[in-house]
Amino acid sequence: MYNIYYIESKSLNTLYHQLKKKYKVFSPVIKESDTKKIDYNYQNLSEGQSLIYNAYRAVEPLKSFFTYPYEKVTDYFTPEKNITELKDKTIIFGVKSCDISAHKVQDFVFLEGIEIDTSTSLEYHGERSRTIDSWYRLRRENTIFISSDCTDFKEVCHCLSWDILPYPTEGFDLNLSPLNDGYLVEVGSKKGEELIGAHKEYFIPAKDVQIFARKHKRESFIEHLKRHVLPQNLVSKDSVQRLVKEGYNLDTWKQFMLPCVECGGCNLICDTCHCFLLADLKEDNINKKVRLWDSCQYANFTRVAGGANPLKTRTQRLRNRFMKKFDFFVDNLDMPACCGCGRCIEVCPGKIDIREVLKDLAKKLNLKQ
Amino acid sequence: MKNIYRPIEATIEDIIIETPTIKTFVLRPKEDFFFNTGQFIELTLPGIGEAPFTPSSDPSLKDKIDVTIMNVGRVTALLHASSKNISLGIRGPYGKGYPLDRFAGKDILIVGGGVGLAPLRSLLFSLFSEMDKYNKVVLRYGARTPQDLAYKDALPEWAKKKKVDVVTTVDVGDATWKGNVGLVTTILKDLPVNLKKAVSVVCGPPIMMKFVTLKLLDLGFRPQDIYLSMEKNMSCGLGKCGHCRIGKYYACKDGPVFTYEQLKDIHDIWD
Repeated sequence: MYNIYYIESKSLNTLYHQLKKKYKVFSPVIKESDTKKIDYNYQNLSEGQSLIYNAYRAVEPLKSFFTYPYEKVTDYFTPEKNITELKDKTIIFGVKSCDISAHKVQDFVFLEGIEIDTSTSLEYHGERSRTIDSWYRLRRENTIFISSDCTDFKEVCHCLSWDILPYPTEGFDLNLSPLNDGYLVEVGSKKGEELIGAHKEYFIPAKDVQIFARKHKRESFIEHLKRHVLPQNLVSKDSVQRLVKEGYNLDTWKQFMLPCVECGGCNLICDTCHCFLLADLKEDNINKKVRLWDSCQYANFTRVAGGANPLKTRTQRLRNRFMKKFDFFVDNLDMPACCGCGRCIEVCPGKIDIREVLKDLAKKLNLKQ
Repeated sequence: MKNIYRPIEATIEDIIIETPTIKTFVLRPKEDFFFNTGQFIELTLPGIGEAPFTPSSDPSLKDKIDVTIMNVGRVTALLHASSKNISLGIRGPYGKGYPLDRFAGKDILIVGGGVGLAPLRSLLFSLFSEMDKYNKVVLRYGARTPQDLAYKDALPEWAKKKKVDVVTTVDVGDATWKGNVGLVTTILKDLPVNLKKAVSVVCGPPIMMKFVTLKLLDLGFRPQDIYLSMEKNMSCGLGKCGHCRIGKYYACKDGPVFTYEQLKDIHDIWD
C-alpha cells in the first residue's frame, strides 16, 4: 500500500528544478492555438521556467516517448552491441489517466507480445521465445510518470464512455491532485516511492481531511464531465465489440470513409496505435534497419509481393482501424484500444469522428433488430 | 539485452534454378540457426529490404537452409538477380510450424500449388525422416504449366518411397506433357486416405487454398484437420508491427500455419 502526501506549489516548483539536474524532465507547456481551448505540448524546458499544470492531456501521445516516428533499430553485419547504453533517466509531468490507460496497449505489444486464446489455437512445439523490444523496455524502465488529475476537458474528451476516470487509479509512479495552494501526491509505484524518499523534505503526509477534499473535488469533476459525455449517448465498453462485428457489412464504413484523405493522422496520433514499418537502408556503407510509425489507412499497409492486398479500399481500411481497436484488442487484451482522448477526432482533416462512427453502427443495428 | 530486429549473416552458397520464375537459394548462416518445419524467416537483402519466406529444406540439416523463392516483387526480383557468395540477413525463425505430433498415426494429405510446394518440401523431409510415425503421405501438387512445376527431379523420387503417393497436375499442358491437366482440385478425387484418421495440409496462392479447402470440407475433412499456410504481409515477425492481422490473430505469431477451424468465422481470409 502506497501513501499519499501533500506538497506546496512552491515546493513542487523547487523540486521540479532540482529534478531537472538529475533527470531529463518533460512537462506541459501552453501551445499557441487558434482554437477556443488552449493546447498543451510536452517540452524539456530550459532552466528558470516554472512548472505548468495542464488541465487535460497534451497534444502528443505518450507513446512518442517510447517509440519514435523514425528511428534506427539496428545495424547489421557489424559487431554486435548490447542495447545497454543507459538512456537518460526521464520524468514526464502532466500524464493523464487516458494516456496511462492507452499505454497498457503499448506495453502489451512491446513488452509482452501477443497471448492468444489457447482453446482454439494449435499446441506448438519449439520454444516460445520472448519477443520483448529492448529499446522500448529500456526507455520504459528509465521513465517516471508523474501524472495528474484532469481539471477540465476538451470537447473531444470522452474517457468516461470507456469507463476510464479523469484521474488515474493505477499505472502511474506519482499522481498530483491540485488542492488549495498545493497538491496531494499519491504514490503509485516503487519508483515513485523512491523519488519521494530522495526528496523527503518537500512532502508532508496527507491528512484525512485533505484526502476527503480530493475525493470531493474528483467527484464533482466527474459530475461536470458526465454532463458533457452522457448526453452524447456514446457506445459503451461492453457493447463495442459486438457492434463492430455485427456491423462488419454495414454501409457505415463507406459513408464515413468518404472524407478520408489517407493522411494516417488518426493512427499516428493515437496512443494505442502501435503499427510500424521496418525498412532497410545503407548509410556510410553500414546496413541499417529503421522503424517508422505506420498507418493502416495507407493504401499499401497490407499489400504483399505480387500485388495482392486484403485492404484495397479506404472503406476496408477505415473498418480495419475499428476492428483492430474494438475486436482484436478486446479478444487479446480484454479492453478496447481506445481511451477516449479524442486526439484522432481533433487531427482528422476530414472530421471523421470515432464517436460518430460507433454511434452510427449502434443506430443501424438497433433499427435492424 | 537482445536486439530482436538484428539479422544474422548468411552467405548464398548455391542457387538452383527450379523454374523460369523460381529459384532455390542455399544459405549458410554464420551463426547457429534452427527452425521447425513450417516456421518462417525474414530474409534481408542488405540495405534494400526484407521479406518473409518459409524454408524449403530439411530442418534437421543444421548448417544450411534452402529458401525457394518466386520472382514476384521488388525484393524477390533483386534476390533473383543476386549471385553466389553474397551475404543476406536472416531473422527468425518465427511463428508456429506444422504440429507434427498431431499428424502421428494419420494419413497426411498434402496439397500444394505452385511455389507453395516450398514449405511443403520441408514438411515432406521431416515426415520422410520418421515415416514409421505416420500412416501414409499423399501429395497432390498442381502448377500452372509443366515448366512451372517446382522440384521436378525430386517428385518422381518421392513417389517411389514406401507409404508415399504422389499425383501432379498442370492447369495448361504442352506438347510433351502426358500427365494430368486441370486445377489441383481435379486431382482430389478418390483419395487413398482414411478420412477417419486423416489430416490435410494446404499451401499455395490464396485462391487455390480457398477452393481446395472447400473441396476438402466437401470430402468430409473436419475444419480442425485442415492446416493452412496463411501468408500475409508479415514484416516484423514478432506480433508488433501489425501488418499481418487475421481477425484476433497475427499470421506471424499465431500462424503462419492455422487450422481452418481457427479461421472459418473470420471475414475475408482469402483476400
